[in-house]
Amino acid sequence: MHEFAIARSLVDAAIDVARNAGVSRITRIRCRIGDLQQVDGDLLGDAFSAVCDGTVCEAADLCIERTHMAFDCERCGTTFLVGEWDWSCPGCGESGSHARGGDELELIGIDGELNDGNQSAPKCV
Amino acid sequence: MMEIKVLRNVFEKNDRAAEQNRELFDRRHITCINLLGGAGSGKTAMLESIVPILSQSLRVGVLEGDLATTRDAERIAALNVPVVQLLTNGGCHLNATLVQHGLEALMQHELDLVIIENVGNPICPANFDLGEHLRMSVLSVTEGDDKPQKYPLLFKAVQAVLITKCDLLPFVDFDIERAKADIRRLNPTAAILRTSSQRGIGIEDVADWLRQIVNERQSLVAAP
Repeated sequence: MHEFAIARSLVDAAIDVARNAGVSRITRIRCRIGDLQQVDGDLLGDAFSAVCDGTVCEAADLCIERTHMAFDCERCGTTFLVGEWDWSCPGCGESGSHARGGDELELIGIDGELNDGNQSAPKCV
Repeated sequence: MMEIKVLRNVFEKNDRAAEQNRELFDRRHITCINLLGGAGSGKTAMLESIVPILSQSLRVGVLEGDLATTRDAERIAALNVPVVQLLTNGGCHLNATLVQHGLEALMQHELDLVIIENVGNPICPANFDLGEHLRMSVLSVTEGDDKPQKYPLLFKAVQAVLITKCDLLPFVDFDIERAKADIRRLNPTAAILRTSSQRGIGIEDVADWLRQIVNERQSLVAAP
């Protein structure tokens, strides 16, 4: 259950960004999370709501951009995503492929209202 | 309208504390290892095997992470090396700040090597930098050869993987070549060592690997 620690760190970092930018109310927090972090979206959402309570993020929604681990085959150069069980290359069957990416855990942006009350960017899809 | 783009590691605060820990280790010419693995994978048993060998030539200290009880710290204290118990009180991983508190006591001793035994958990601890220089993961053959695929982060960003309880290989359905191949795909450069703490298999190799790392780092410091 690392989702709570992730939610708390995410909100702390977002509040810090907002403070530096003169944002008084955060309406959205955008983050990038790789599959390898094994973060459950529902659990993160619940933790996020709990952590946001009573802060400038209280009304914020959370947008998660998911990234995936990819393999590069050493022999034929095919790039492929992780299969269910077999990690060998679908192009040539080679087993010596190397993993890359999928371990991202980043705050990539916030939307919010400026201290003068200007509205934020449109709703997250 | 205000849309602010940034790029910040979510665990930036933890990483700052981790960097302070690393600076402390570097100042004191200490090498720090973060030992990771699931509950019951054999982390403490591995320490009981390697610490007496390492202690012949190095001053070793241990930070023992656990959810509850001081049982593991008592096992390490019996080896006559300095040990500090870090209790997370139910938390599933160590973080750099907790380690910082533990180091206040451990740093009363002159040390060459600090080993942090993380909380037994194959997922969460891998997210948190503690200020270590190297990571060593433990995978026991009783856990199954599918674990590199199930917990890839535990094997991706480490310098060594110890496959433990290898004396039990004849009795369990564990394809060691498959496990090694999957670890290689995640991490082509990690040292993969077959061990059994119970039977003393591969223990000298683990101790040698660690001794070499410590010596290399100390000679770097000693160089003008």
